[in-house]
Amino acid sequence: MIEIRNLTKRFDGATAVDGLSVEVPDGEVLALVGTSGCGKSTTLRMINRLIEPDAGQVLISGRDASAMPVEQLRLGIGYVIQGVGLFPHWTVAQNVGTVPRLMRWDRARIDARVTELLELFGLAPAEFATKFPSELSGGQQQRVGVARAMAAEPSVLLMDEPFGALDPVTRARLQSEFAAIQRRRRMTVILVTHDMDEAFRLADRIAVMDAGRILQIDTPERLLRGPRDGFVRQFVGLDDRALRILSLHPVSDAARPATPGRWSVDGGVVRDLGRDAAPEVTPLAPTDTLREAASRIIWDDADLLPVMGNGVIESELAAADVWRAGGRQR
Amino acid sequence: MIPRAGLGLALALAGFAALALQPGLFAPLLALVNDPGQAVIYDRQALIVLAGWHLVLVAAAGAVAASVGILLGILVTRARGAEFLTLARMISNLGQTFPPIAVLAITVPIVGFGFAPTFIALCAYGLLPVFENTVAGLRGVSAPTLEAARGMGMAPTTILARVELPLAAPVILTGIRLSTIINIGTATIGSTVGAVGLGEVIIAGLQSGNPAFILQGAVLVALMAIAIDLMLRMLGRGRARGD
Repeated sequence: MIEIRNLTKRFDGATAVDGLSVEVPDGEVLALVGTSGCGKSTTLRMINRLIEPDAGQVLISGRDASAMPVEQLRLGIGYVIQGVGLFPHWTVAQNVGTVPRLMRWDRARIDARVTELLELFGLAPAEFATKFPSELSGGQQQRVGVARAMAAEPSVLLMDEPFGALDPVTRARLQSEFAAIQRRRRMTVILVTHDMDEAFRLADRIAVMDAGRILQIDTPERLLRGPRDGFVRQFVGLDDRALRILSLHPVSDAARPATPGRWSVDGGVVRDLGRDAAPEVTPLAPTDTLREAASRIIWDDADLLPVMGNGVIESELAAADVWRAGGRQR
Repeated sequence: MIPRAGLGLALALAGFAALALQPGLFAPLLALVNDPGQAVIYDRQALIVLAGWHLVLVAAAGAVAASVGILLGILVTRARGAEFLTLARMISNLGQTFPPIAVLAITVPIVGFGFAPTFIALCAYGLLPVFENTVAGLRGVSAPTLEAARGMGMAPTTILARVELPLAAPVILTGIRLSTIINIGTATIGSTVGAVGLGEVIIAGLQSGNPAFILQGAVLVALMAIAIDLMLRMLGRGRARGD
Protein backbone atom coordinates (compact mmCIF):
# COMPACT_ATOMS: atom_id res chain seq x y z
CA MET A 1 0.00 0.00 0.00
CA ILE A 2 1.32 3.40 -1.01
CA GLU A 3 -0.15 6.51 0.56
CA ILE A 4 0.76 9.84 -0.93
CA ARG A 5 -0.29 12.80 1.14
CA ASN A 6 -0.25 16.36 -0.02
CA LEU A 7 2.93 15.90 -2.05
CA THR A 8 4.34 19.15 -3.43
CA LYS A 9 7.36 20.05 -5.52
CA ARG A 10 8.40 23.39 -6.96
CA PHE A 11 11.18 23.95 -9.48
CA ASP A 12 12.46 27.54 -9.66
CA GLY A 13 9.15 28.88 -8.43
CA ALA A 14 7.04 26.85 -10.85
CA THR A 15 4.90 24.24 -9.12
CA ALA A 16 5.45 20.84 -10.70
CA VAL A 17 3.38 18.82 -8.24
CA ASP A 18 0.75 20.62 -6.27
CA GLY A 19 -0.52 19.07 -3.05
CA LEU A 20 -1.16 15.67 -4.62
CA SER A 21 -2.76 12.92 -2.55
CA VAL A 22 -3.57 9.39 -3.61
CA GLU A 23 -3.68 5.92 -2.11
CA VAL A 24 -2.68 2.81 -4.01
CA PRO A 25 -3.89 -0.38 -2.32
CA ASP A 26 -1.77 -3.54 -2.42
CA GLY A 27 -1.83 -5.30 -5.76
CA GLU A 28 -3.25 -2.37 -7.70
CA VAL A 29 -1.84 -0.91 -10.90
CA LEU A 30 -2.35 2.84 -10.88
CA ALA A 31 -1.57 4.75 -14.06
CA LEU A 32 -0.61 8.42 -13.89
CA VAL A 33 -1.43 9.94 -17.24
CA GLY A 34 -1.17 13.43 -18.64
CA THR A 35 0.75 15.56 -21.08
CA SER A 36 4.48 16.26 -20.76
CA GLY A 37 5.18 18.49 -17.79
CA CYS A 38 2.00 17.62 -15.91
CA GLY A 39 4.05 16.39 -12.97
CA LYS A 40 3.49 12.67 -13.38
CA SER A 41 7.17 11.72 -13.60
CA THR A 42 8.07 14.11 -10.80
CA THR A 43 5.43 12.44 -8.63
CA LEU A 44 6.86 9.02 -9.41
CA ARG A 45 10.41 10.10 -8.72
CA MET A 46 9.41 11.55 -5.36
CA ILE A 47 8.23 8.10 -4.28
CA ASN A 48 11.74 6.64 -4.48
CA ARG A 49 13.23 10.03 -3.62
CA LEU A 50 15.14 10.56 -6.81
CA ILE A 51 13.51 13.94 -6.26
CA GLU A 52 13.00 15.14 -2.70
CA PRO A 53 9.55 16.67 -2.12
CA ASP A 54 9.19 20.21 -0.82
CA ALA A 55 6.17 19.22 1.24
CA GLY A 56 3.96 16.24 1.88
CA GLN A 57 4.55 12.61 2.69
CA VAL A 58 4.91 9.24 1.03
CA LEU A 59 4.07 6.21 3.14
CA ILE A 60 4.98 2.76 1.84
CA SER A 61 3.32 -0.01 3.85
CA GLY A 62 2.80 2.57 6.56
CA ARG A 63 6.47 3.62 6.72
CA ASP A 64 7.43 7.19 5.98
CA ALA A 65 9.75 7.11 2.95
CA SER A 66 11.57 10.25 4.03
CA ALA A 67 12.52 8.63 7.33
CA MET A 68 14.25 5.67 5.70
CA PRO A 69 17.87 5.68 4.49
CA VAL A 70 17.47 6.54 0.83
CA GLU A 71 19.39 3.53 -0.56
CA GLN A 72 17.45 1.22 1.73
CA LEU A 73 14.19 2.69 0.46
CA ARG A 74 15.16 2.25 -3.19
CA LEU A 75 16.30 -1.34 -2.74
CA GLY A 76 12.74 -2.17 -1.77
CA ILE A 77 11.18 -0.44 -4.78
CA GLY A 78 11.44 -1.74 -8.32
CA TYR A 79 12.13 0.97 -10.89
CA VAL A 80 11.76 0.79 -14.66
CA ILE A 81 12.56 3.73 -16.93
CA GLN A 82 11.98 4.52 -20.56
CA GLY A 83 15.66 4.52 -21.50
CA VAL A 84 15.95 1.09 -19.84
CA GLY A 85 19.39 2.03 -18.51
CA LEU A 86 20.86 -1.44 -18.51
CA PHE A 87 24.48 -1.53 -17.39
CA PRO A 88 26.31 -2.01 -20.70
CA HIS A 89 29.38 -3.61 -19.13
CA TRP A 90 27.37 -6.33 -17.38
CA THR A 91 25.73 -9.41 -18.82
CA VAL A 92 21.97 -9.89 -18.79
CA ALA A 93 22.31 -12.13 -15.73
CA GLN A 94 24.45 -9.57 -13.91
CA ASN A 95 22.00 -6.81 -14.78
CA VAL A 96 19.02 -8.76 -13.50
CA GLY A 97 20.95 -9.70 -10.36
CA THR A 98 21.88 -6.10 -9.54
CA VAL A 99 19.57 -5.49 -6.59
CA PRO A 100 19.92 -8.98 -5.07
CA ARG A 101 23.70 -8.47 -5.19
CA LEU A 102 23.34 -5.10 -3.49
CA MET A 103 21.21 -6.82 -0.86
CA ARG A 104 23.92 -9.44 -0.43
CA TRP A 105 21.85 -12.48 -1.30
CA ASP A 106 23.98 -15.59 -1.58
CA ARG A 107 25.16 -16.64 -5.00
CA ALA A 108 22.90 -19.67 -5.43
CA ARG A 109 19.79 -17.69 -4.54
CA ILE A 110 20.69 -14.93 -7.00
CA ASP A 111 21.32 -17.44 -9.78
CA ALA A 112 18.03 -19.19 -9.13
CA ARG A 113 16.12 -15.91 -9.10
CA VAL A 114 17.78 -14.68 -12.30
CA THR A 115 16.95 -17.92 -14.09
CA GLU A 116 13.34 -17.76 -12.88
CA LEU A 117 12.92 -14.18 -14.09
CA LEU A 118 14.50 -14.76 -17.48
CA GLU A 119 12.13 -17.67 -18.02
CA LEU A 120 9.20 -15.57 -16.86
CA PHE A 121 10.03 -12.98 -19.51
CA GLY A 122 10.56 -15.54 -22.24
CA LEU A 123 14.34 -15.09 -22.43
CA ALA A 124 15.88 -18.58 -22.47
CA PRO A 125 18.54 -18.40 -19.72
CA ALA A 126 20.96 -20.64 -21.62
CA GLU A 127 20.92 -18.24 -24.54
CA PHE A 128 20.50 -14.85 -22.88
CA ALA A 129 22.14 -14.99 -19.44
CA THR A 130 25.64 -14.36 -20.78
CA LYS A 131 24.70 -11.83 -23.46
CA PHE A 132 25.52 -8.15 -23.15
CA PRO A 133 22.80 -5.50 -23.51
CA SER A 134 24.24 -4.34 -26.84
CA GLU A 135 23.48 -7.78 -28.28
CA LEU A 136 19.75 -7.53 -27.49
CA SER A 137 16.85 -6.05 -29.45
CA GLY A 138 14.94 -3.12 -27.98
CA GLY A 139 12.14 -5.35 -26.78
CA GLN A 140 14.55 -7.79 -25.16
CA GLN A 141 16.38 -4.95 -23.41
CA GLN A 142 13.11 -3.65 -22.04
CA ARG A 143 12.18 -7.12 -20.78
CA VAL A 144 15.53 -7.32 -18.99
CA GLY A 145 14.84 -3.86 -17.56
CA VAL A 146 11.53 -5.00 -16.08
CA ALA A 147 13.02 -8.29 -14.88
CA ARG A 148 15.82 -6.36 -13.17
CA ALA A 149 13.29 -4.15 -11.39
CA MET A 150 11.41 -7.20 -10.13
CA ALA A 151 14.51 -9.15 -9.09
CA ALA A 152 14.41 -8.65 -5.33
CA GLU A 153 10.65 -9.16 -5.20
CA PRO A 154 9.86 -5.56 -4.33
CA SER A 155 6.40 -4.91 -2.98
CA VAL A 156 6.24 -1.75 -5.07
CA LEU A 157 7.12 -1.26 -8.72
CA LEU A 158 7.49 2.18 -10.28
CA MET A 159 7.42 2.36 -14.06
CA ASP A 160 8.15 5.54 -16.02
CA GLU A 161 7.10 5.17 -19.66
CA PRO A 162 8.38 1.59 -19.52
CA PHE A 163 7.47 0.64 -23.07
CA GLY A 164 7.69 4.11 -24.60
CA ALA A 165 10.69 3.56 -26.81
CA LEU A 166 9.39 0.44 -28.55
CA ASP A 167 7.64 -0.05 -31.85
CA PRO A 168 3.84 -0.51 -31.54
CA VAL A 169 3.88 -4.27 -32.13
CA THR A 170 6.60 -4.98 -29.59
CA ARG A 171 5.00 -2.54 -27.17
CA ALA A 172 1.65 -4.30 -27.35
CA ARG A 173 3.30 -7.67 -26.85
CA LEU A 174 5.26 -6.49 -23.82
CA GLN A 175 2.16 -4.87 -22.37
CA SER A 176 0.18 -8.07 -22.56
CA GLU A 177 3.11 -10.07 -21.18
CA PHE A 178 3.37 -7.66 -18.30
CA ALA A 179 -0.38 -7.79 -17.69
CA ALA A 180 -0.20 -11.59 -17.55
CA ILE A 181 2.72 -11.48 -15.10
CA GLN A 182 0.95 -8.90 -12.96
CA ARG A 183 -2.18 -11.06 -12.78
CA ARG A 184 -0.08 -13.75 -11.13
CA ARG A 185 2.31 -11.65 -9.03
CA ARG A 186 -0.03 -8.90 -7.87
CA MET A 187 2.57 -6.21 -7.30
CA THR A 188 1.63 -2.69 -6.33
CA VAL A 189 2.49 -0.71 -9.43
CA ILE A 190 2.53 2.96 -10.29
CA LEU A 191 2.85 3.45 -14.01
CA VAL A 192 3.56 6.78 -15.66
CA THR A 193 2.52 7.10 -19.28
CA HIS A 194 1.21 9.59 -21.79
CA ASP A 195 -0.29 6.76 -23.79
CA MET A 196 -3.96 6.40 -22.86
CA ASP A 197 -4.17 2.98 -24.54
CA GLU A 198 -1.34 1.71 -22.37
CA ALA A 199 -3.15 2.97 -19.28
CA PHE A 200 -6.40 1.28 -20.35
CA ARG A 201 -4.56 -1.95 -21.06
CA LEU A 202 -2.60 -2.21 -17.83
CA ALA A 203 -4.19 -0.11 -15.09
CA ASP A 204 -6.81 -0.91 -12.50
CA ARG A 205 -7.26 2.81 -11.93
CA ILE A 206 -6.18 5.79 -13.95
CA ALA A 207 -5.32 9.21 -12.54
CA VAL A 208 -5.48 11.99 -15.13
CA MET A 209 -3.06 14.76 -14.19
CA ASP A 210 -2.65 18.33 -15.30
CA ALA A 211 -0.55 21.13 -13.81
CA GLY A 212 0.60 19.00 -10.89
CA ARG A 213 -2.83 17.91 -9.74
CA ILE A 214 -5.01 14.86 -10.23
CA LEU A 215 -8.12 16.00 -12.06
CA GLN A 216 -9.89 12.67 -11.95
CA ILE A 217 -9.02 9.22 -10.68
CA ASP A 218 -11.23 6.30 -11.63
CA THR A 219 -11.35 2.83 -13.10
CA PRO A 220 -10.84 2.84 -16.86
CA GLU A 221 -14.52 2.16 -17.50
CA ARG A 222 -15.79 4.90 -15.20
CA LEU A 223 -13.27 7.31 -16.68
CA LEU A 224 -14.58 6.54 -20.15
CA ARG A 225 -18.22 6.70 -19.14
CA GLY A 226 -18.01 9.74 -16.94
CA PRO A 227 -15.03 11.93 -17.73
CA ARG A 228 -15.07 15.36 -16.10
CA ASP A 229 -15.52 18.30 -18.41
CA GLY A 230 -12.48 20.06 -19.74
CA PHE A 231 -9.01 18.55 -19.82
CA VAL A 232 -10.01 15.02 -18.80
CA ARG A 233 -12.65 14.79 -21.51
CA GLN A 234 -10.22 16.03 -24.08
CA PHE A 235 -7.31 13.88 -22.93
CA VAL A 236 -9.24 10.63 -22.54
CA GLY A 237 -10.46 10.95 -26.12
CA LEU A 238 -14.10 10.10 -26.58
CA ASP A 239 -14.26 9.47 -30.33
CA ASP A 240 -13.87 5.72 -29.89
CA ARG A 241 -15.00 5.40 -26.33
CA ALA A 242 -17.50 2.63 -27.05
CA LEU A 243 -14.72 0.51 -28.56
CA ARG A 244 -12.41 1.34 -25.67
CA ILE A 245 -15.05 0.27 -23.19
CA LEU A 246 -15.47 -2.97 -25.11
CA SER A 247 -11.74 -3.58 -25.01
CA LEU A 248 -11.90 -3.55 -21.20
CA HIS A 249 -14.19 -6.58 -21.05
CA PRO A 250 -13.57 -10.22 -21.86
CA VAL A 251 -16.08 -12.08 -23.97
CA SER A 252 -17.12 -14.07 -20.88
CA ASP A 253 -18.64 -10.87 -19.43
CA ALA A 254 -21.40 -10.74 -22.06
CA ALA A 255 -21.73 -14.37 -23.18
CA ARG A 256 -24.90 -16.34 -22.60
CA PRO A 257 -25.47 -20.12 -22.51
CA ALA A 258 -25.24 -21.67 -25.95
CA THR A 259 -28.54 -22.35 -27.76
CA PRO A 260 -28.97 -26.14 -27.87
CA GLY A 261 -28.44 -27.52 -31.39
CA ARG A 262 -27.11 -24.26 -32.81
CA TRP A 263 -23.44 -25.25 -33.08
CA SER A 264 -21.81 -28.40 -34.33
CA VAL A 265 -18.22 -29.31 -33.54
CA ASP A 266 -16.63 -31.90 -35.74
CA GLY A 267 -12.90 -32.53 -35.64
CA GLY A 268 -12.21 -28.97 -34.54
CA VAL A 269 -14.40 -27.44 -37.25
CA VAL A 270 -17.29 -25.41 -35.82
CA ARG A 271 -20.40 -24.91 -37.99
CA ASP A 272 -23.32 -22.56 -37.46
CA LEU A 273 -26.43 -24.75 -37.95
CA GLY A 274 -28.67 -21.72 -37.50
CA ARG A 275 -27.65 -20.23 -40.84
CA ASP A 276 -28.27 -21.44 -44.36
CA ALA A 277 -25.70 -23.99 -45.55
CA ALA A 278 -24.32 -24.25 -42.01
CA PRO A 279 -21.17 -22.14 -42.69
CA GLU A 280 -17.95 -22.77 -40.86
CA VAL A 281 -17.27 -20.19 -38.14
CA THR A 282 -14.20 -19.44 -36.08
CA PRO A 283 -15.18 -19.47 -32.42
CA LEU A 284 -14.22 -16.77 -29.92
CA ALA A 285 -12.20 -17.53 -26.81
CA PRO A 286 -13.64 -16.50 -23.43
CA THR A 287 -10.59 -14.32 -22.84
CA ASP A 288 -10.89 -12.38 -26.12
CA THR A 289 -12.03 -8.82 -25.57
CA LEU A 290 -15.47 -7.63 -26.58
CA ARG A 291 -13.69 -5.24 -28.90
CA GLU A 292 -12.19 -8.16 -30.80
CA ALA A 293 -15.60 -9.84 -30.77
CA ALA A 294 -17.23 -6.71 -32.19
CA SER A 295 -14.72 -6.63 -34.97
CA ARG A 296 -15.46 -10.27 -35.82
CA ILE A 297 -19.20 -9.68 -35.71
CA ILE A 298 -18.86 -6.80 -38.16
CA TRP A 299 -16.47 -8.65 -40.44
CA ASP A 300 -18.46 -11.91 -40.51
CA ASP A 301 -21.79 -10.06 -40.65
CA ALA A 302 -22.94 -12.33 -37.82
CA ASP A 303 -25.40 -11.71 -35.02
CA LEU A 304 -24.29 -14.66 -32.91
CA LEU A 305 -20.84 -16.20 -32.44
CA PRO A 306 -19.86 -19.37 -30.53
CA VAL A 307 -17.44 -19.16 -27.60
CA MET A 308 -15.14 -22.12 -27.29
CA GLY A 309 -13.17 -23.02 -24.19
CA ASN A 310 -11.33 -26.27 -23.49
CA GLY A 311 -12.36 -27.66 -26.88
CA VAL A 312 -16.10 -27.36 -26.33
CA ILE A 313 -18.63 -24.68 -27.17
CA GLU A 314 -19.32 -23.37 -23.70
CA SER A 315 -21.43 -20.34 -24.57
CA GLU A 316 -22.36 -17.94 -27.31
CA LEU A 317 -22.15 -14.19 -27.78
CA ALA A 318 -24.93 -12.13 -29.31
CA ALA A 319 -24.18 -8.94 -31.20
CA ALA A 320 -26.93 -7.12 -29.32
CA ASP A 321 -25.24 -7.94 -26.00
CA VAL A 322 -21.95 -6.57 -27.29
CA TRP A 323 -23.60 -3.35 -28.45
CA ARG A 324 -25.29 -3.05 -25.06
CA ALA A 325 -22.00 -3.58 -23.19
CA GLY A 326 -20.44 -0.70 -25.08
CA GLY A 327 -23.47 1.56 -24.96
CA ARG A 328 -24.25 4.40 -22.57
CA GLN A 329 -27.33 2.68 -21.07
CA ARG A 330 -25.55 -0.09 -19.30
CA MET B 1 44.43 -7.65 -34.08
CA ILE B 2 45.83 -9.05 -30.83
CA PRO B 3 48.41 -11.33 -32.50
CA ARG B 4 49.56 -8.46 -34.70
CA ALA B 5 49.89 -6.09 -31.77
CA GLY B 6 51.62 -8.91 -29.89
CA LEU B 7 54.10 -9.33 -32.74
CA GLY B 8 54.75 -5.59 -32.87
CA LEU B 9 55.33 -5.53 -29.15
CA ALA B 10 57.72 -8.49 -29.31
CA LEU B 11 59.72 -6.81 -32.09
CA ALA B 12 59.88 -3.46 -30.29
CA LEU B 13 60.99 -5.13 -27.05
CA ALA B 14 63.57 -7.28 -28.82
CA GLY B 15 65.01 -4.28 -30.66
CA PHE B 16 65.06 -2.24 -27.48
CA ALA B 17 66.75 -4.98 -25.44
CA ALA B 18 69.38 -5.64 -28.13
CA LEU B 19 70.31 -1.98 -28.47
CA ALA B 20 70.26 -1.26 -24.75
CA LEU B 21 72.14 -4.37 -23.63
CA GLN B 22 74.44 -5.09 -26.56
CA PRO B 23 74.95 -1.77 -28.37
CA GLY B 24 78.22 -3.17 -29.72
CA LEU B 25 76.23 -5.31 -32.15
CA PHE B 26 75.11 -2.15 -33.91
CA ALA B 27 78.51 -0.50 -34.02
CA PRO B 28 79.15 -1.25 -37.74
CA LEU B 29 75.76 0.20 -38.61
CA LEU B 30 76.16 3.30 -36.44
CA ALA B 31 79.66 3.87 -37.77
CA LEU B 32 78.12 4.68 -41.15
CA VAL B 33 76.76 8.00 -39.88
CA ASN B 34 79.92 9.08 -38.05
CA ASP B 35 83.27 10.41 -39.20
CA PRO B 36 85.98 7.76 -39.17
CA GLY B 37 87.74 7.48 -35.85
CA GLN B 38 84.86 9.01 -33.86
CA ALA B 39 83.47 7.00 -30.92
CA VAL B 40 80.34 5.17 -32.03
CA ILE B 41 78.87 3.72 -28.83
CA TYR B 42 78.04 5.97 -25.88
CA ASP B 43 80.07 4.57 -22.99
CA ARG B 44 79.95 7.10 -20.17
CA GLN B 45 77.06 5.16 -18.70
CA ALA B 46 75.49 1.79 -19.66
CA LEU B 47 72.53 2.41 -21.99
CA ILE B 48 70.35 -0.02 -20.06
CA VAL B 49 70.92 1.93 -16.85
CA LEU B 50 69.97 5.17 -18.59
CA ALA B 51 66.89 3.49 -20.06
CA GLY B 52 65.97 2.21 -16.61
CA TRP B 53 66.16 5.66 -15.05
CA HIS B 54 64.29 7.12 -17.97
CA LEU B 55 61.50 4.66 -17.37
CA VAL B 56 61.47 5.28 -13.62
CA LEU B 57 61.17 9.01 -14.23
CA VAL B 58 58.30 8.60 -16.69
CA ALA B 59 56.52 6.01 -14.54
CA ALA B 60 56.77 8.09 -11.38
CA ALA B 61 55.54 11.24 -13.12
CA GLY B 62 52.88 9.20 -14.95
CA ALA B 63 51.60 7.70 -11.70
CA VAL B 64 51.23 11.16 -10.19
CA ALA B 65 49.71 12.69 -13.33
CA ALA B 66 47.28 9.77 -13.65
CA SER B 67 46.24 9.84 -9.99
CA VAL B 68 45.80 13.60 -9.90
CA GLY B 69 44.14 13.66 -13.33
CA ILE B 70 41.66 10.90 -12.45
CA LEU B 71 40.87 12.32 -9.01
CA LEU B 72 40.40 15.78 -10.47
CA GLY B 73 38.23 14.33 -13.24
CA ILE B 74 36.08 12.50 -10.71
CA LEU B 75 35.80 15.58 -8.52
CA VAL B 76 34.57 17.91 -11.24
CA THR B 77 32.01 15.43 -12.56
CA ARG B 78 30.32 15.14 -9.13
CA ALA B 79 27.35 17.42 -8.56
CA ARG B 80 29.20 19.25 -5.79
CA GLY B 81 32.42 19.62 -7.76
CA ALA B 82 30.93 20.98 -10.97
CA GLU B 83 31.92 24.53 -10.08
CA PHE B 84 35.58 23.53 -10.06
CA LEU B 85 35.47 22.30 -13.65
CA THR B 86 36.63 25.59 -15.16
CA LEU B 87 39.39 25.97 -12.61
CA ALA B 88 40.60 22.39 -13.06
CA ARG B 89 40.55 22.81 -16.85
CA MET B 90 42.57 25.97 -16.54
CA ILE B 91 45.19 24.30 -14.37
CA SER B 92 45.55 21.23 -16.53
CA ASN B 93 45.61 23.32 -19.71
CA LEU B 94 48.28 25.49 -18.20
CA GLY B 95 50.32 22.36 -17.44
CA GLN B 96 50.15 21.40 -21.09
CA THR B 97 50.64 24.80 -22.71
CA PHE B 98 53.53 25.77 -20.47
CA PRO B 99 56.58 24.33 -22.26
CA PRO B 100 58.34 21.71 -20.10
CA ILE B 101 61.62 23.46 -20.71
CA ALA B 102 60.15 26.60 -19.15
CA VAL B 103 58.97 24.55 -16.19
CA LEU B 104 62.55 23.35 -15.78
CA ALA B 105 63.80 26.94 -15.87
CA ILE B 106 61.42 27.85 -13.07
CA THR B 107 61.83 24.77 -10.90
CA VAL B 108 65.60 24.29 -11.03
CA PRO B 109 66.28 27.37 -8.87
CA ILE B 110 63.77 26.07 -6.36
CA VAL B 111 64.38 22.31 -6.20
CA GLY B 112 67.86 22.09 -7.71
CA PHE B 113 69.16 20.02 -10.63
CA GLY B 114 68.44 16.39 -11.46
CA PHE B 115 65.43 14.17 -11.05
CA ALA B 116 63.11 16.58 -9.17
CA PRO B 117 62.63 19.41 -11.70
CA THR B 118 62.15 16.95 -14.57
CA PHE B 119 59.68 14.97 -12.52
CA ILE B 120 57.65 18.14 -11.86
CA ALA B 121 57.73 19.16 -15.53
CA LEU B 122 56.50 15.73 -16.62
CA CYS B 123 53.72 15.65 -14.01
CA ALA B 124 52.44 18.99 -15.26
CA TYR B 125 52.76 17.99 -18.90
CA GLY B 126 51.05 14.62 -18.48
CA LEU B 127 48.10 15.85 -16.47
CA LEU B 128 45.87 17.22 -19.22
CA PRO B 129 45.26 14.08 -21.31
CA VAL B 130 44.36 12.05 -18.23
CA PHE B 131 42.13 14.73 -16.78
CA GLU B 132 40.29 15.51 -20.00
CA ASN B 133 39.78 11.84 -20.84
CA THR B 134 38.55 11.10 -17.33
CA VAL B 135 35.99 13.89 -17.64
CA ALA B 136 34.97 12.76 -21.13
CA GLY B 137 34.76 9.11 -20.06
CA LEU B 138 32.65 9.81 -17.00
CA ARG B 139 30.42 12.22 -18.92
CA GLY B 140 29.95 9.56 -21.59
CA VAL B 141 28.10 7.24 -19.20
CA SER B 142 24.52 7.46 -20.36
CA ALA B 143 21.96 9.30 -18.26
CA PRO B 144 19.46 6.39 -18.13
CA THR B 145 22.22 4.08 -16.87
CA LEU B 146 23.01 6.47 -14.02
CA GLU B 147 19.33 7.04 -13.29
CA ALA B 148 18.77 3.29 -13.15
CA ALA B 149 21.77 2.84 -10.86
CA ARG B 150 20.46 5.48 -8.47
CA GLY B 151 16.89 4.24 -8.64
CA MET B 152 18.06 0.71 -7.98
CA GLY B 153 19.50 1.78 -4.64
CA MET B 154 23.23 2.02 -5.36
CA ALA B 155 25.13 4.45 -3.12
CA PRO B 156 27.09 7.19 -4.93
CA THR B 157 30.43 5.50 -4.21
CA THR B 158 29.07 2.18 -5.50
CA ILE B 159 27.85 3.87 -8.68
CA LEU B 160 31.29 5.42 -9.17
CA ALA B 161 33.21 2.21 -8.52
CA ARG B 162 30.94 -0.33 -10.20
CA VAL B 163 29.29 1.61 -13.00
CA GLU B 164 30.97 4.90 -13.89
CA LEU B 165 34.66 4.02 -13.64
CA PRO B 166 34.36 0.63 -15.39
CA LEU B 167 32.40 2.26 -18.22
CA ALA B 168 34.82 5.18 -18.45
CA ALA B 169 37.92 2.97 -18.11
CA PRO B 170 38.71 2.57 -21.83
CA VAL B 171 38.66 6.34 -22.35
CA ILE B 172 40.65 6.99 -19.18
CA LEU B 173 43.22 4.37 -20.20
CA THR B 174 43.59 6.09 -23.56
CA GLY B 175 44.36 9.30 -21.67
CA ILE B 176 46.98 7.55 -19.55
CA ARG B 177 48.50 5.99 -22.66
CA LEU B 178 48.73 9.33 -24.46
CA SER B 179 50.15 11.03 -21.40
CA THR B 180 52.76 8.30 -20.94
CA ILE B 181 54.04 8.15 -24.49
CA ILE B 182 54.22 11.94 -24.71
CA ASN B 183 56.28 11.94 -21.55
CA ILE B 184 58.66 9.24 -22.74
CA GLY B 185 59.72 11.66 -25.45
CA THR B 186 59.54 14.76 -23.30
CA ALA B 187 61.65 13.20 -20.53
CA THR B 188 64.75 13.53 -22.74
CA ILE B 189 64.91 17.25 -21.98
CA GLY B 190 65.46 16.35 -18.33
CA SER B 191 69.04 15.63 -19.23
CA THR B 192 69.63 19.36 -19.77
CA VAL B 193 69.21 19.79 -16.03
CA GLY B 194 71.07 16.67 -15.01
CA ALA B 195 68.33 14.08 -14.75
CA VAL B 196 69.70 10.63 -15.57
CA GLY B 197 68.01 9.28 -18.68
CA LEU B 198 68.31 8.56 -22.36
CA GLY B 199 68.28 12.29 -23.15
CA GLU B 200 71.88 12.30 -21.93
CA VAL B 201 72.99 10.26 -24.95
CA ILE B 202 71.23 12.54 -27.39
CA ILE B 203 72.58 15.69 -25.78
CA ALA B 204 76.08 14.25 -25.70
CA GLY B 205 75.70 13.55 -29.42
CA LEU B 206 74.52 17.09 -30.11
CA GLN B 207 77.32 18.67 -28.08
CA SER B 208 80.12 16.64 -29.60
CA GLY B 209 78.75 16.43 -33.14
CA ASN B 210 78.28 12.66 -32.90
CA PRO B 211 75.28 11.52 -35.01
CA ALA B 212 75.65 7.91 -33.83
CA PHE B 213 75.02 8.97 -30.21
CA ILE B 214 71.97 10.96 -31.25
CA LEU B 215 70.69 8.04 -33.26
CA GLN B 216 71.05 5.39 -30.54
CA GLY B 217 69.45 7.66 -27.93
CA ALA B 218 66.57 8.58 -30.20
CA VAL B 219 65.96 5.01 -31.37
CA LEU B 220 65.90 3.73 -27.80
CA VAL B 221 63.39 6.40 -26.78
CA ALA B 222 61.24 5.66 -29.80
CA LEU B 223 61.26 1.89 -29.22
CA MET B 224 60.41 2.42 -25.55
CA ALA B 225 57.46 4.63 -26.53
CA ILE B 226 56.21 2.13 -29.12
CA ALA B 227 56.51 -0.83 -26.73
CA ILE B 228 54.68 0.93 -23.90
CA ASP B 229 52.01 2.25 -26.25
CA LEU B 230 51.32 -1.30 -27.50
CA MET B 231 51.31 -2.71 -23.98
CA LEU B 232 48.78 -0.15 -22.76
CA ARG B 233 46.66 -0.67 -25.87
CA MET B 234 46.53 -4.41 -25.20
CA LEU B 235 45.67 -3.77 -21.58
CA GLY B 236 42.86 -1.44 -22.70
CA ARG B 237 41.49 -3.96 -25.15
CA GLY B 238 41.52 -6.69 -22.54
CA ARG B 239 39.41 -4.52 -20.29
CA ALA B 240 36.97 -3.30 -22.92
CA ARG B 241 34.64 -6.22 -22.30
CA GLY B 242 33.45 -7.84 -19.11
CA ASP B 243 34.84 -6.91 -15.71
